Amino acid sequence: MRVSNYYRKILVSLCLLSVFSLSSNSFADEANSTAESTSRVWKNVEMRGTKQDVYFHAWGGDQQINNYIQWAAKQVKEKYKINLHHVKLTDTSEAVSRVLAEKAADNHRNGQVDLVWINGANFASMAKYQLLAADWAGELPNFQLTNPTNNPAMTRDFGVPTQGMEAPWGQAALTFYFDSLKVNDVPETLSDLLIWSEKHPGHFTYPKPPDFLGMSFLKYALLVLSESQPKSIQDKLYQPVTAESEAELLPALWQFLDQLHPTLWRQGKHFVSNGLALRRLMSDTELQVSFTFSAAEIPSAISRYDLPDSTRSYRMKDGSLSNIHFVAIPYNSPHIEGAKLVANFLLSPEAQARKQKTVIWGDSSVLDLSQLTPTQKALFDVNEQQHLSANIINIDNTRLLSELHPSWVKVITEQWLTRYGVQ
Amino acid sequence: MIVANTLFTRLVRNSPYLLIALLVVPVLGGLLGVLLPAFGWFPALGANEFGLFGFVQLFNTPGIERMVLLSFGTSLVSTLLAFVITVLILASYFNSPWLKRIQRLLGPILVIPHAAAAIAIGFLITPSGFLSRLISPWLTGWDIPPDWLFPHDPYGLSIILGLTLKELPFLLLIALGVLAQPEIGKTLKAQHKVASSLGYCPMTGFFKVILPSLYGYMRLPILAVLAYSSASVEIPLILGSNTPPTLAVAIMQWFNDVDLSLRIKASSGAILQILITLSLLGSWCLLELLVKKCSTSFLVNGEREYGGMLIQRMTHLITTVMLSVICLALVAMVLWSFAGFWSFPDLLPQQLVTLHWSSALLQMQTPLFNTLVIAISTTLIAIALTLFVLEAEQQNTKTISAISGFIIYLPLLIPSIAFLFGLVWLFEQVNSQHAYINVVFSHLLFVLPYVFLSLANSYRRLDPRFSTVAASLGVQPSKIFWQLKLPLLLSPILIASALGLAISFSQYLPTLLSGAGRINTITTEAVTLANGASRRTSAVYALMQMLLPALFFILAWAAPKLFFRNRG
Repeated sequence: MRVSNYYRKILVSLCLLSVFSLSSNSFADEANSTAESTSRVWKNVEMRGTKQDVYFHAWGGDQQINNYIQWAAKQVKEKYKINLHHVKLTDTSEAVSRVLAEKAADNHRNGQVDLVWINGANFASMAKYQLLAADWAGELPNFQLTNPTNNPAMTRDFGVPTQGMEAPWGQAALTFYFDSLKVNDVPETLSDLLIWSEKHPGHFTYPKPPDFLGMSFLKYALLVLSESQPKSIQDKLYQPVTAESEAELLPALWQFLDQLHPTLWRQGKHFVSNGLALRRLMSDTELQVSFTFSAAEIPSAISRYDLPDSTRSYRMKDGSLSNIHFVAIPYNSPHIEGAKLVANFLLSPEAQARKQKTVIWGDSSVLDLSQLTPTQKALFDVNEQQHLSANIINIDNTRLLSELHPSWVKVITEQWLTRYGVQ
Repeated sequence: MIVANTLFTRLVRNSPYLLIALLVVPVLGGLLGVLLPAFGWFPALGANEFGLFGFVQLFNTPGIERMVLLSFGTSLVSTLLAFVITVLILASYFNSPWLKRIQRLLGPILVIPHAAAAIAIGFLITPSGFLSRLISPWLTGWDIPPDWLFPHDPYGLSIILGLTLKELPFLLLIALGVLAQPEIGKTLKAQHKVASSLGYCPMTGFFKVILPSLYGYMRLPILAVLAYSSASVEIPLILGSNTPPTLAVAIMQWFNDVDLSLRIKASSGAILQILITLSLLGSWCLLELLVKKCSTSFLVNGEREYGGMLIQRMTHLITTVMLSVICLALVAMVLWSFAGFWSFPDLLPQQLVTLHWSSALLQMQTPLFNTLVIAISTTLIAIALTLFVLEAEQQNTKTISAISGFIIYLPLLIPSIAFLFGLVWLFEQVNSQHAYINVVFSHLLFVLPYVFLSLANSYRRLDPRFSTVAASLGVQPSKIFWQLKLPLLLSPILIASALGLAISFSQYLPTLLSGAGRINTITTEAVTLANGASRRTSAVYALMQMLLPALFFILAWAAPKLFFRNRG
């Protein structure tokens, strides 16, 4: 089954880098052992959270995701009489700035953000400035269904321990796509990509960092390029960056990019600022191969005529960058109980199974199927009619690559901007 | 003039103070909220010491000088172009019915939000765009789009194109608003006739007789356009290069960066942006002086003809090209909103579907409602306040002081990116939780100046003898105001209202920031979706954004005609 395979891969890759698995699981264990008091705490949350207004700040650039959140709003309205408002962001950092501005203005109780969809650098940033409520994720009854004790990925965000500040919501892996009518020699490894782009100049590009998708491409390249290095040096990618590790690992990336850039769209002299612009360029047939973090957007874009019917998706054979995305509650949310109820609902088998359906959103579930009852498991059975592009080529024979330590993002962005930011 | 002390006159007398407070407090407060972090004071980040490290970081940014140059160059060139073309159009079509027609065609552009306009223009001129499809493959042989660095060229040509096309209709509308005012319009037209009868070619007559008077009325709007374009974000973001981008775009990206310590650099950048805008305004004034000095002899040398036909033909060409660009962009936008799959080099989509409209209209209701509520309340406040302030001026028989006059344009002259982030901080300080009120308040900052700008001249030029006669007949000031002046000014008031609505409709950053993102309008949705991947959905929203203000402008044009016809 697709999902359990998926999990095994994530587990394997994560175990490989469990160099620094510290005490972050302890709160989950605690939650297990004191199950009874937890349920009392939870009853209390349920009592106080009903009828609250919850302002959910989540990126709003995708109609499918927006519709899914609307559906969730209806469900929590029925279950808890909660009014869930989706505040559509163009960039998650807007919510980060808002909470920061509130903190600057000494508004410690009455924040505008109750729940935020977040991961990676945004999370690291909020955690660093103590903008998030801590130690609540373990309280959620459905959190146990992710099997956090055996699945460290659920309590780490890009390698940073979440300390109960976030509840997992879904996961994604870097997926490439192409127009099967135009491309017959699909590049399936990073080195193939360079050769392909030299042969077909101007038909591939990536967004300019610090865009999330552009950054992800650079991380993928860096991870693959670092494989020629000894294991001890490779592992430094999962630790805070130092001048030494930078000097060991980054030159290979710049060398690769120096070769790749002249062959890119606009000769690498201009890069799109936004990951979604890639899909628009694919639709305009300016690009012929591109990539995304949400594979499910491809069939849905085809159904809305935003991509040609002949589009197919695949994973790179040399690895696919993968990460988990979370929901978090700011420290000054006035509706913290309501927000917890929503976070718990988002983790329910019902909500996760619906989210995983390609026609709904197609975002992979974070639940461990072994923790579910047979009825709950049945919710995940796929019997929908799928477009061909929903079958991701290579999905079973590629490894999942874990995210780098977040401190690399800043270093890569800065150096990229110095090298290629002014042309 | 001795004025009776009634509730009405008291209200009127105090209105200028309210106006000034409404504009000064948020702008200065917002600036303070940027100034402190610019010099290193940002307690939430643990930065408690004043220093210049923000500026050091700023000037160490790779390509900072290119950013500054790009901001400076694109806004100066585009404003200059827009002004020159406006003058050429006015000169060539001054007494021709074409002036009205051109204005009607350009009117809609004024009300298209910048983001939507940029996307429409972008689709036209990208290598896979409508223009290139028109000539492919039969002429060019292109089966796949060429790989040109345009738009997004490093010289900012595409930004200049976008800005010029957006600024031109505004300047033209302002000029026509001045000419539509019975007093000025009639006088100028009469003077033009005299010039013609003295043998001046109509073109020369326009430049020698009308332009010197007209320019005085257009001066502040031009400066506002210049200031706005130097710090605008949407067009450079969508059409401009990002290696490096313009300064304003870079500032916005730093403000929004996940690395919160960049806020300090962003705030320093905002201060630099203000300096750039100020130096642009200064350059324009220098340019004015230069032109004035060089042209004095030209005005009185008695020469009747300067190749007017040639200039006129050139103007015909420019106007035609421009109008076709706009029409093509509109056609392309409509096509996108109904398009099935549409691959290069097909001129038309493979199939036309209503899917995008039906799904968008379903989700549009709340934003549409919000848009209308906010725009109508903002515009009503702005119109009422403006009329009262102008009335106060006349009751005191002097125009408001130079300082107050300047203050009205403050929000237009100070780049909004510089004070909006601080304004949110200010709302936080007073702990204002009413998102609607906050949004109306911040929209007012941008709507008020435009409404004032478009009403002030007409109101001031209203022949004072009407009210003097009425007052000498013992009519109350309030009655003069409501029953004499307002009906006489109906047409400019309606146009100012339509303009106010349009400005409010198109606000993106103020709505997003002061509404805490909780208030969705058509524009915030459109920009969110414009950053998304579907041209089709954003075409629907962009068209919706055009239809809405267009509707109100049509009402503003049509209503006085109906009104006066009934009277006649």
